[in-house]
Amino acid sequence: MRQDYVIEVEDLCFVRGEKVIFDHLNLKIRRGAITAVMGPSGTGKTTLLRVIGGQLKPDSGRVLLNGKDVCTMSRDELFRARRDIGMLFQTSALFTDMNVFENVAFPMRVHTDLPEDTIRDLVLMKLNAVGLRGARDLKPSQLSGGMARRVALARAIALDPDLIMYDEPFTGQDPISMGVILTLIRDLNDALGVSTLLVSHDIHETASIADYLFVIADGKVIGEGTPNELRDHPSSRIHQFMHGDPDGPVPFHYPADDFRFDLLSEVE
Amino acid sequence: MENLLRRIGGRTLGRFQTLGRATIMWIQAMGWIPKTGEWSLLIRQVYSIGVLSIVIIGLSAFAIGAVLALQFYTQLSRFGAEDAVGAGLALVLLRELGPVVTGLLFAGRAGSAITAEIGLMKTTEQLSIMEMMGVDPLRRIVAPRLWGGIISMPLLTAIFNMVAIYGGVVVGVQWLGADAGGFWSGMQSAVEPLEDIGKGMVKAAIFALVVTWVAVFQGYDCEPTAEGMGLATTRTVVTSSVLILAIDFFLTLLMYGDF
Repeated sequence: MRQDYVIEVEDLCFVRGEKVIFDHLNLKIRRGAITAVMGPSGTGKTTLLRVIGGQLKPDSGRVLLNGKDVCTMSRDELFRARRDIGMLFQTSALFTDMNVFENVAFPMRVHTDLPEDTIRDLVLMKLNAVGLRGARDLKPSQLSGGMARRVALARAIALDPDLIMYDEPFTGQDPISMGVILTLIRDLNDALGVSTLLVSHDIHETASIADYLFVIADGKVIGEGTPNELRDHPSSRIHQFMHGDPDGPVPFHYPADDFRFDLLSEVE
Repeated sequence: MENLLRRIGGRTLGRFQTLGRATIMWIQAMGWIPKTGEWSLLIRQVYSIGVLSIVIIGLSAFAIGAVLALQFYTQLSRFGAEDAVGAGLALVLLRELGPVVTGLLFAGRAGSAITAEIGLMKTTEQLSIMEMMGVDPLRRIVAPRLWGGIISMPLLTAIFNMVAIYGGVVVGVQWLGADAGGFWSGMQSAVEPLEDIGKGMVKAAIFALVVTWVAVFQGYDCEPTAEGMGLATTRTVVTSSVLILAIDFFLTLLMYGDF
């Protein structure tokens, strides 16, 4: 029986050096929905994706992917499990020695025995879905940031994964590219029936397509709900984050001595 | 004092950790047996690591062979022993200079390129995305380069030896006028196939293993920043060169030492 949740993070603790990134974090990603994890910069959103993908091992806790604990998988099991995950990095991470077509064909060539003409058709379908069929012969260095991200998206869906994870997909995009990526994320989720996990700090864009949001800070989930529920959330921290207020529980000023005292003090 | 001890201890432990990571990576990559369709990865590496190094190896070999012939001829002709130029040239090249200079040039040209390429792939998250696609970068990226280097360097050493001897012939025989018959017969009688050519190639294979290991590890383990990549590339050239010279001493001691 298929479970309701594609990912279940249970009691996750992750410490890097002296810094506690996750402190008994709990969250569940619903199957078939677009779930966003949001939070200020440096709260460990990308780290969370890497822990879910098994690239980082947590200090304690469990991460269940389709009911199986990623943290206890062997190397081979992990590599097999990752074939059901599509991932879009913030940098797009296209293979620079391959053109657009070869980039999208790469996962198919490595993981399937499909004949070349079938691979060609599939790649063209994926590229057509992101609107870049005509750019198939270009090298990554010839693409704009937005185009590179769309190619990376076509590559991420090459093997029709169960789950697509997006790491800050809107960062550095112009308004047109932003609109295209927003539409693609929503359409691909609905058309392919995949589950989507998106981490971002772009509130308006994320809230416009997400079905469910988690806000994390200080290593914990400080709020969750639909975008509308979070906009009217009683917590002042969530209110500040959702409305982008410059001052609030997260202060505008970095902790310092009294301003008047600072001004009147002698130059050392 | 306590801080100093702590720092020394920390650094020592760090070195052992690095060595441990490098050994694990080496074992995993060396166990790679190409599947159908993966042979092209190896062939491409042999081309870019080996074939593209032929020009620099050839030019350097010719120059070294020519200089050696000049030196040998100048010294030996004082005693009327010009016929020994061929023997001396061949023994020095086959036993020592061939593998050592090829190793040093290989570290500078191919080793640094391997480190920079893998380092750049790491910096731009290409290795990470490969892992996330369920493709092991150790099999796909590291192993073909490691094996490509191990296959290429002994072949480059053989090319180096041949071109250097030719350089010696051009200067010693054709220019300075040493007797061709004496040159070749002296070489033929002095060189033992197993003792000189064989042991020289064993050295080349060991240097190949060391240089490519250092190069792939430095790239794979580098800090994913521009500065980290630069440091890793420098470390590859410096570490490989020092290791080649140090290992050469011990290998020569083992192979030819009379004790």
